[in-house]
Amino acid sequence: MSDPETGEERLENRLEATIDGALHLLDRQLLDREGRMLGKVDDVELTQRGDDLVITGVLTGPAALAQRLGGRLGGAMTRTWGQLRVSEPDRTRPWRIDVEDIDRLDSALHLAVRREGVLRRDRDALRLGTLTGMDVLGPDGTRIGRVLDARFQADHHGRLVLVSLIVGHGRPGSLLGYDRRGDIGPRLVRVVVRRLHRHTVIAGAADAEISWEARTVRLRSVPDRRPDHALR
Amino acid sequence: MSRLFAVALGVLTAIGGFVDIGDLVTNAQVGARFGFSLVWATAIGVVGICVFAEMSGRVAAVSGRATFDLVRERLGPRVGMLNLVSSMLITFLTFVAEIGGVALALQLVASVHLLLIVPLVGLLVWLLLWRARFSAIENVLGLLGLALVVFAVALWQLAPDWSSVAHQAVTLDKPADEDWRTFAYYAVALFGAAMTPYEVFFFSSGGVEEGWTTEDIATMRANVLVGFPLGGLLSVAIVGCSWLVLGPLEIGVDSLGQVALPVAAALGKVGLAVAIVGFVAATFGAACETGLSVGYSVGQYFGAQWGKYVRAREAAVFHVVLLLATLAATAFLMTQVDPILVTEVSVVFSAAALPLTYFPILVVANDPDYMGEHVNGRLANALGTFFLLVIAVAATAAIPLMIWTRMGQ
Repeated sequence: MSDPETGEERLENRLEATIDGALHLLDRQLLDREGRMLGKVDDVELTQRGDDLVITGVLTGPAALAQRLGGRLGGAMTRTWGQLRVSEPDRTRPWRIDVEDIDRLDSALHLAVRREGVLRRDRDALRLGTLTGMDVLGPDGTRIGRVLDARFQADHHGRLVLVSLIVGHGRPGSLLGYDRRGDIGPRLVRVVVRRLHRHTVIAGAADAEISWEARTVRLRSVPDRRPDHALR
Repeated sequence: MSRLFAVALGVLTAIGGFVDIGDLVTNAQVGARFGFSLVWATAIGVVGICVFAEMSGRVAAVSGRATFDLVRERLGPRVGMLNLVSSMLITFLTFVAEIGGVALALQLVASVHLLLIVPLVGLLVWLLLWRARFSAIENVLGLLGLALVVFAVALWQLAPDWSSVAHQAVTLDKPADEDWRTFAYYAVALFGAAMTPYEVFFFSSGGVEEGWTTEDIATMRANVLVGFPLGGLLSVAIVGCSWLVLGPLEIGVDSLGQVALPVAAALGKVGLAVAIVGFVAATFGAACETGLSVGYSVGQYFGAQWGKYVRAREAAVFHVVLLLATLAATAFLMTQVDPILVTEVSVVFSAAALPLTYFPILVVANDPDYMGEHVNGRLANALGTFFLLVIAVAATAAIPLMIWTRMGQ
């Protein structure tokens, strides 16, 4: 794809398409408008706007990363990070970059601004890293699996809104992108990943009741949509 | 013309940069004990590094992302962290071994105690990493490393019976006094030495340093597919020299001097001098590469600015890591640890950690969201899958074999 202004070759901007939060956004490199690096997308900030769960920023830095490590290790690291300087307010609150400052997403997340002073610590909100990995329960309370990934789509305001959850067994990110289309090689890896994830289903966001305190998602109906790979 | 020059320069530096202390020591040891019967392990390792270096180079050219970016993205922060810690430990051990190797090579000339040379080498390495331009490090040391071609000349001068050499290589005819356990152990060590993970960290990050685009893929391929195999031939020449001169005398290799001995026997003082220049350049170059690789992997895991293409002040964390790594490596060597022993350990641990690095490269090189039309073709995938399996076997076998054979005793 060529840039209409400069004519130079650019990768496709994924923010205009459907993105899988864990696969396309989490752990990507952050670059400022001059191409300088300033961190990783250690987590993604979500905000409830009416009925929609919307991406409102990306989180970066040790406080966000420690939570992503998860479990006892993540908790201990977050506490330790806070204790390193108790006089500093909100130290365990991660640095955030507002979605307004984001330009485009390809193999990295490009900001529309310079990296100097772009980080803010003005709010603490819901995180994608908490949503992925949540237990998913069916209407009757039986466990279906875990949230492996969350799919977002741009609405007519240009906001990235949660449209569906990928639910299955294993760890978030372990689909490695093999659920999105059926022809990704090499064959051996594809066969193994699909075999491991043969029970994966897609649940619509409207169907899902997310309980952030209990860290569970309850579905109002049993999902029957399968990802692309299961259809072939 | 400039394109041809770029290809030629790249190929030459790939040859000179292919051999490092791990290759020098392991190949000489294997040569002295097993002759040409383990050439197949080097050959497999060389093809393997070509396959994955080409993939990682292509990913870097298309997406601008180096290998550890891919590790973090596809394996996530947890497994990525495990990978970071283990790769850094191994790359650091290799870094220690390379600095030790420079010091040993200089000691062959200077004859002063190793502990007097080590701090000087550490300082020089750090100064280069801090001040020198990336291309200067790569080209100057790579070209000087070509002095190791003297091993090929020595082998030719030693005039082996080529038909028996070929017979030994093809039939895996190991000498009768060695058993199959040590044979397998050294096969894994040779494979680990050829496929050391830092090579792809450095290769792909170097691509980002030099601003590769899709137009550079052809040049990159030429460098890899011509340069690395020729570097592999140098490794085989070391094996051969060692077999012809040290084998009959039953000399085991436990110093760098013994690696150079066959060259002295075949070509005299001049040959020895050229070999030592080659040793210094090859290990010095590899010391810079491994040192940078430690910084690259930390930078790419945490996303902090890395690279020598920006001013040192712009990439402060990166340069702090380089400084600390060099200090720690120098301090480690000052404990009088034997650099040869560190080398032997580092190649075996490299073999054990291979899948963590090479699996994410294979997955991303296939991802059309990432690579567009430049995804792996059938050949790359067939070879990539084959090597993934070989790597898995080598990684599983490495540590048990090390314990079982007491490091090849």
